Amino acid sequence: MLFRLENLSHCYSDGTLALDDISLSFAKGERTALLGTNGSGKTTLLHHLNGILKPTSGKVYFEDKPLEYDSKSLLDIRRRVGFVFQDPNDQLFAPTVKQDVAFGPLNLGQPTDQVKKAVDEALGTVGMAKYAEKPPHFLSLGQKKRVALAGVLAMQPEVLIMDEPTSNLDPRATSEILHLLLRLNKEFKITLILATHDVDMVPLFANKLYILNKGKLVSEGSPAELFSDAELIRGVNLRSPRITHLFEVLKKENNLPINPKLPLTISEARKEILRLLDSKNAVKNKRKADK
Amino acid sequence: MSHVNLSAEIDRYAYTNALSKSSPTTKLFLAISLLLVSVMSPTPVVPIIVFLTSTILLLYFAKIPYRFYLKLLWYPIIIIALTCLIIALFFGYQEPLTEINLLGLKWTVFKDGITLGFTTFFRVAGGLSTQFFLVLTTPMTSILLILRKARVPKVLIETSLLIYRYIFVFIEIMETMHTAQELRLGYSSLRKKLRSISLLMANLFIRTLEQGERTFTAMSARGYDGNIRVLEDLPKPSKTALLGIAIFAAALAVAAYLTMNIRIV
Repeated sequence: MLFRLENLSHCYSDGTLALDDISLSFAKGERTALLGTNGSGKTTLLHHLNGILKPTSGKVYFEDKPLEYDSKSLLDIRRRVGFVFQDPNDQLFAPTVKQDVAFGPLNLGQPTDQVKKAVDEALGTVGMAKYAEKPPHFLSLGQKKRVALAGVLAMQPEVLIMDEPTSNLDPRATSEILHLLLRLNKEFKITLILATHDVDMVPLFANKLYILNKGKLVSEGSPAELFSDAELIRGVNLRSPRITHLFEVLKKENNLPINPKLPLTISEARKEILRLLDSKNAVKNKRKADK
Repeated sequence: MSHVNLSAEIDRYAYTNALSKSSPTTKLFLAISLLLVSVMSPTPVVPIIVFLTSTILLLYFAKIPYRFYLKLLWYPIIIIALTCLIIALFFGYQEPLTEINLLGLKWTVFKDGITLGFTTFFRVAGGLSTQFFLVLTTPMTSILLILRKARVPKVLIETSLLIYRYIFVFIEIMETMHTAQELRLGYSSLRKKLRSISLLMANLFIRTLEQGERTFTAMSARGYDGNIRVLEDLPKPSKTALLGIAIFAAALAVAAYLTMNIRIV
């Protein structure tokens, strides 16, 4: 296992118990989503994965070794585990895009030529190469998010953690970020872990899902498994993807013979509809033939 | 909040003007040497040449719209003009020029006072134009990189770098909060105005502290260890350009020396 959390609890200095006895793991190459409402502990959990926060109790294992918190170990884990923050304004501090993206590689002590190459490549990957000399305040939110992502990619991480990568983005920017993430996972074999409450996005992105509620781990499984359990989803104040909800209603209210594994995405829904039409036509044709 | 927009506009021109790609070292060298020549000149002749030089550079070469340049010049010029009027009227002691009636008081105006007033006005105006040339053609990043090369203390440079970036974040936050207050009639009377402004300031202050903490966390996540390292990729200044500027400045200094005895009145 790449990451393993063992009985992790975190209590903030004001006394809030943000994480309560959480044990879970993240596998290499997987795309995992942490799903939960605001304040469910997603961000706090993510902050433990590259040592931003120390657990109050419990342990974090990275490649089966417990995380150390001295500055050398932290630099190492932060090179290998990149973190993209929710608000790009928190992350972009440098006066130009290029300087910001160069910050990470320079901290790793790489020589200038190599840093420049890493910066160009990272900006190219996220499609922001022509904005290299611009200051961040000239950019739109979607562009800032991509630059923030480039700043982390330039450090060539093995794991990429993103906190609400699509929050506040317009539909187009959302889909661009999503495709970019999937590409990173496929082409560069980067393990992806992200926190979100965008339930429509989760099935498109994740192959593994954890649901958090009030600091506790409620459930884990594939998106298909978890979203077909409507009671579970509603119990933690979330909802199913719109398309899943539609099929749930069609099944319950209209008694359509829908597969118990409800479709989560447009393409799954399309298959299911075609299947229903086919079986209906088959029945019709059979009746015709009988006559 | 027009002053806020003005500084944002200056920043925008610094990145988009026709000279933004040319070597910042050359531009800084030009601005500083012309500033020194202008301020040290004993007569208005050289400062006028300096003023015309930077104005021509700004309008024809950097392609800054003349309306914007005038807008920038307008306020400082008025202030300098008033100051220099006072110098002209109340300074000096050698040859009396004329007597004026000031609220029933007789006041003698001296020739050297007038000369000093005029010279000061043009010196400052010349110096001002060189600094406008610098800020309108050279992005802040480049200036910081040069200062770093010039071994200005790190803490100053790193603070300026962060201030420069977050000024624009907080301008946005301030404008949003200001609008939100205004929409709820927070500025409808003097009392409410004072209250709203104080609330706005207190809130902004807290927001800056929070932002500082979040930025620190985000920087730590990318390996921040107390040193902000930057890519030093300044375009190399052309030696010919630097030499040309040095010769021009020297020529102006000679001109200043030769015109030392010119009298205005």
